[in-house]
Amino acid sequence: MARPFLLLRILSCIALAVAFDITGKVSWNDICPSATILGQAKASLDEGVFTGGITVNGQFTIPDVPEGTYLLSIISHDFAFDQLRIDITNSSLPKVRPYIPGTPMNPPSSILLPYPIVLSAKEKADYFVPPERFNLAGMFANPMMLLMVGVGVMMLAMPYLIKNMDPEALEELKEKQAKMGSIQSAFQSGDIKAGLSSIMAAAEEQTASNSTPTQANRGGSRTRGNKKTKR
Amino acid sequence: MRFITTAVTLISLCIGTWAIHESDVGVVDWHKHLVGVPLYGSTSTAPTFNFIGNRSLIFFGTSSNVIAALDPEDGSVVWRYIFGPEDPVTGYYKLDNTVTTLSGPGGSTLRNFNALTGELLLEKRLHLPQLGALSTPISLGKHVISSPESKDLFILTNGCTVTSLNGTTGEVNWKWTSPDQGSLIIHTKLISTPEALFAVGIAKSTATYTIHVTSISPTTGEVIHSANIPSRVEDPFTEFTILTRPELTKPIVLWLEKGTIGHVALTPTLKEKPRPIQGDVYSQFLDVGLTNHGQAVLLREDGSSAVLKLSEEGRLAKSKWEFQYSLASTRNADYSYAGGVDTLGHPYVARVHWSSNLGKGLADVFAGHLASGEGHSNDFSFQFDPQTYGTIKHVALDAESSQSTINSRILVTTSTGAVQLWDQHQLKWSREEALATVTLAEFVEVPEVASASDVAASEGFVSRVSRQISEAQDFPQYLVNFVKRFVTGSYASPTSSLGPTTTNSTEGIIRDAFGFRQIIVAATGLGLGKVYGIDSSNGNIVWSRVLGLGWAGEVGGHVQPLKLYVTKTVSDGGDPEVVLVAQRRADNSLVDTVLFHINALTGSDITLRSKDNFPLEGYDVIQGPLVESFLLNAEKKFLVFFDEYLQAYLYPDTQETKSIFAGVAPSLSFPLRTTVEDRKRVIGHQIAVSKDHHKSLAHPTWSLALPLGEEVQTLVPQIRGPIASIGKVLGNRTTLYKYLNPRLFTVLTAAPARAMCGIYVLDSMKGTVVYHAEVKANLRGCNVKTNFVENWLVYHYFEGEVGSGTAGGAKGYRMVSVEFFEGQKVDEKTKSSEISSFSNDTINYHFYESAFIFPYDISALTTTSTKFGITTKDLIVATKNHRVQSFSRHFLNPRRPNRKTTAEEQEEYLITYDPVLPNDPKRVLSHNYDVAKTVKIVTAPALLESTSLVLSFGLDMFLTRVAPSNTFDVLSENFNKAQLVFTVSGLLLAILITGPMVKRKSLREKWYHS
Repeated sequence: MARPFLLLRILSCIALAVAFDITGKVSWNDICPSATILGQAKASLDEGVFTGGITVNGQFTIPDVPEGTYLLSIISHDFAFDQLRIDITNSSLPKVRPYIPGTPMNPPSSILLPYPIVLSAKEKADYFVPPERFNLAGMFANPMMLLMVGVGVMMLAMPYLIKNMDPEALEELKEKQAKMGSIQSAFQSGDIKAGLSSIMAAAEEQTASNSTPTQANRGGSRTRGNKKTKR
Repeated sequence: MRFITTAVTLISLCIGTWAIHESDVGVVDWHKHLVGVPLYGSTSTAPTFNFIGNRSLIFFGTSSNVIAALDPEDGSVVWRYIFGPEDPVTGYYKLDNTVTTLSGPGGSTLRNFNALTGELLLEKRLHLPQLGALSTPISLGKHVISSPESKDLFILTNGCTVTSLNGTTGEVNWKWTSPDQGSLIIHTKLISTPEALFAVGIAKSTATYTIHVTSISPTTGEVIHSANIPSRVEDPFTEFTILTRPELTKPIVLWLEKGTIGHVALTPTLKEKPRPIQGDVYSQFLDVGLTNHGQAVLLREDGSSAVLKLSEEGRLAKSKWEFQYSLASTRNADYSYAGGVDTLGHPYVARVHWSSNLGKGLADVFAGHLASGEGHSNDFSFQFDPQTYGTIKHVALDAESSQSTINSRILVTTSTGAVQLWDQHQLKWSREEALATVTLAEFVEVPEVASASDVAASEGFVSRVSRQISEAQDFPQYLVNFVKRFVTGSYASPTSSLGPTTTNSTEGIIRDAFGFRQIIVAATGLGLGKVYGIDSSNGNIVWSRVLGLGWAGEVGGHVQPLKLYVTKTVSDGGDPEVVLVAQRRADNSLVDTVLFHINALTGSDITLRSKDNFPLEGYDVIQGPLVESFLLNAEKKFLVFFDEYLQAYLYPDTQETKSIFAGVAPSLSFPLRTTVEDRKRVIGHQIAVSKDHHKSLAHPTWSLALPLGEEVQTLVPQIRGPIASIGKVLGNRTTLYKYLNPRLFTVLTAAPARAMCGIYVLDSMKGTVVYHAEVKANLRGCNVKTNFVENWLVYHYFEGEVGSGTAGGAKGYRMVSVEFFEGQKVDEKTKSSEISSFSNDTINYHFYESAFIFPYDISALTTTSTKFGITTKDLIVATKNHRVQSFSRHFLNPRRPNRKTTAEEQEEYLITYDPVLPNDPKRVLSHNYDVAKTVKIVTAPALLESTSLVLSFGLDMFLTRVAPSNTFDVLSENFNKAQLVFTVSGLLLAILITGPMVKRKSLREKWYHS
């Protein structure tokens, strides 16, 4: 009961004060070309006590609006419109300004839009997402897939690579693999000490082998050929 | 459990939003496009058949404040226009190719629609709504006619003002208001002739009414003459009518004076003398919408009736067509009369009634122009079902004739809100418009299909072995089928259609793989007295029952559903059951509380009071109004009711339920709203169990006194459901424990004097105010919508200025999100869900709150609900622009920081606070559907944890499925079974080919090394 009473009371105050009919137009554009496509829509001030239906030619009239500052929005099922700030004063025509949701009403924007209001649809709601389809090219573009393919190729190609290596390089490779294997097995068996020592040993060897080329360099060009064969 | 929760959260955040595919429309959702129950009480809103060009349409106004146009061929809605709540439609007037409506107090707003498409051509306010005179019936004192020569409209509003305006531009030509401003004379009708416009009305004189006519110049609006017709009419609604014909210049006013017809022809100067027609005595005129074609129905005291005809020369025809008086039906009210006009402009009158002797509906259709003006009638019967649809309340007629045969179809509106089109004896279509008035609805799970191998346990050894051997014969067949299914079959997907329902009478309705097929039990409001069982997978009505009136059937009355409880679910064994609690208001003003105990699968009466084909008979639980009722779920489910004296009633009232009730009653508490010494209060009650045969009584324990002038609007209970996690682990490995007090409820208040609205969250045991906020009221008063689930409160309101009128703040709709947590800071735990409400720790909590700018006005909101409560709860709202939309919980998190997020916050997936909530059209669940005037949204879990069913009702009914955290528990939609089978078989092939090769190679290697 309280609600209609309040409304009536406020409206009766309005009756005494000045009231203004706000008129405007929805101009058809590519997004919303006609009233049939727009469907039933309304122009509404604030929470929708003052409204006006949008007619077939896009025109709307919000009747008997009292003085004040209002937010005009177009209520439509499918289309998004800009909101506008409307100031109705006693003296002049209503002032129309753009309004961005979430910003304070004051100070008002310095841009004044023409009156009668002209609005057009900004966006048509797109409710659907395209279904995800199985895509072979997309699957192969996946980095994981590329890695897997790479590994697969390596696996197949490995025996041939090894076969084509010269025996010395092969020896070295096998030696390294064996070392790595021993470190791994040491860690796996829980013998951390042995594992560490083997790492140390490997590191020592590394430094030793690193130092050899520097020494060899001093030796001159003869050793260079030698290094080549070693590597 | 914790792990699953975390996993779900992770998954939900990793994958983008869940949205619907265009191909899923109508598969995962359904939508009933409804218009509401026709308002048949007045001829200006009642259904009529109309011709626009060569197309026929049915127009009517409805109780849902809609003007609708239906296609008579299939009953589909061609167009509808929904009026606002302050703008009740008073009537529609079909003029030429347009439909004109008057709405609002006194007919303040005129709208003109294209009759074929429903496009709004013109909207014009005729007077301020607060200047409108209220009238009963609402259509009294309003009329619209068009000028025969021009595009001008003549509009009568408020019973005293006639406006002439241009029908296309809306420009006012002239306006005339009667000198007495409608205080003495109420004009009811306009009649237009080339010379004058007549405004005919009734003037109050001592004891009776006098007919008053004003003749106005149609071009200038000047009054030509104004006079009382010497007449004495007792009931202006039934004893007075005006007949005219399109070619006539002198309309005839008719009235009944002590049963005798008096009549006078109208001329601009009003000089004609009234004349009585001696002879028969009648009781009333019945307007069947043919007064402009010179026909009306006359009723006599004994129930017989005749058709009165105006001849082409403008004289009353000597003979009246007498409808055959049927002795089978003695009561006058059983007859419905209807008028219709064919494409050539010939009028027809039909009389329709239900014959209980024949068990059929009977219709007599009279065509006055046939048989060279003598008139001819034709009758037919139709198989109307009064057990399902109640009684025939209104009939609209569409007829055409060739030589001497009349082909007619009738549109029947029934007392249960169904609209049916009968083409002679054949039912063409039926619309259940009562679904537009649904006020209560609940989901009920349906049982699984009974497995054939469920054989009795008493089976002996020999019989079992023989049965198993006989079953083993089918094994090869089974194996083949299995392989076939494995290779080619598709898996059930949550977006796949459930296929045709297997609802034959023997099987009943059975559950699908994911539990999407449930029964929605829906009860209608408006006193239509109907309950429906609706299949949630496709929206088909599985069963429907009429609510019986019990003893009030003799005096008349109506049943208004109050609450709906699911008292037995599938997990309790047997068929699920629901109890509908309703208030029966008999026409002798006695109010009783009745309950209907219904089998949710079949609609049959559990109490066996009524047979399946008859109205449901209720059980009168309280001889008086209901104050509050609850479903108690302690050991056994039973209902507790409280009457005006706060006495407790149980249903079922057995020794067992009594003893359970006595055990749990001390721990129960409930709030009620009352007025004590002009102050509105919310008062908490507890129950004192009676030890003797008296009823247990509830007594007040606490009271929340509201400030003076503040009124309680509603008490909103908390939404209950399974709670999967009791806390929230933050990025820094601390935990916020949720404040899960099960006794919390929300109170919405309004303080009109201060233009403020209050939101309180109270503890029902102690009355502790856990949360209180005040927001501004708007011009419509307080229109706050709220929802409380687990520890999460949301409320929606309009932030504007009322009174002071400054525009400093940002106007717009707000959604406030509040989350309650235990203790004063992180890692404090009080076990709020378990502790006694008298513990000090119940007030040891803190909360976070944030307000967001919401894009729309809403009419209902709720959250999704799932089977275990693990999935994130999204907010579902019904917006005023006719959408049902979901909003992600993550955006509504009140802990969103006001700065750039830190690494820890990012780990929690917190996003920087932005006041504007993203409005993503992909989250519009109702997509292209126009879901209007939603009053409530109900959600229910499916068997899949990820998915929740969402039903919205109000005017339209809409159901869809949502997966707030995506469908993580089923195969993704792009899972390709063919590809999987192909890969596996490819690998198998590779093994088969390379196997011998490897074997050969290893053999060769052995040779080389040895």
